Amino acid sequence: MQLALVVGHAVSTVKHASMHGWRLLIVQAVGPDEEPDGEPLLAIDSLGAGHGERVIISNDGAGARQMVGVKNSPVRWCVLGIQDR
Amino acid sequence: MRIAEVIGTVTLSRWHPALTGFRWIVGVPFSLNGLREDRPDGEDLVIYDDLGCGIGSRIGFSEGGEAAQPFQPEKKPVDAYCACILDQLAVK
Repeated sequence: MQLALVVGHAVSTVKHASMHGWRLLIVQAVGPDEEPDGEPLLAIDSLGAGHGERVIISNDGAGARQMVGVKNSPVRWCVLGIQDR
Repeated sequence: MRIAEVIGTVTLSRWHPALTGFRWIVGVPFSLNGLREDRPDGEDLVIYDDLGCGIGSRIGFSEGGEAAQPFQPEKKPVDAYCACILDQLAVK
């Protein structure tokens, strides 16, 4: 699990069937000094996190597959929580 | 999943038997600055595609273990999988 900043969102019509109905957020993982850590990622979100919010993301593929309920889903990153402070 | 822009396709003359009939594209990933300036600037890579994206498409692609998941229970040596074609990217 990692802290990340929501930098935007994406819209997709043609996608893997397991991703239908999920919001797609563009998140940027951040390090302890708020520096961007790596390239921005697409994460599925069920919590309704918005632009500029800090979130906790998980890189557990098995957990994401359980979330979407499809065994052969290619999804890895999902938003687990929204940080208040 | 990372975000990439498709800049080309790959045609093979010899391939692993498990990969017969596959379509491959070349994608260049975006960094955060690249996304803001609408200019892909990462290190290009070959990605499996079954959605039919064209040159110039923006895609989201899975890497590592998740890239081979859609083929389960078959085992395929695929390391990058085009999971979605992005119609719209809203980045601030």
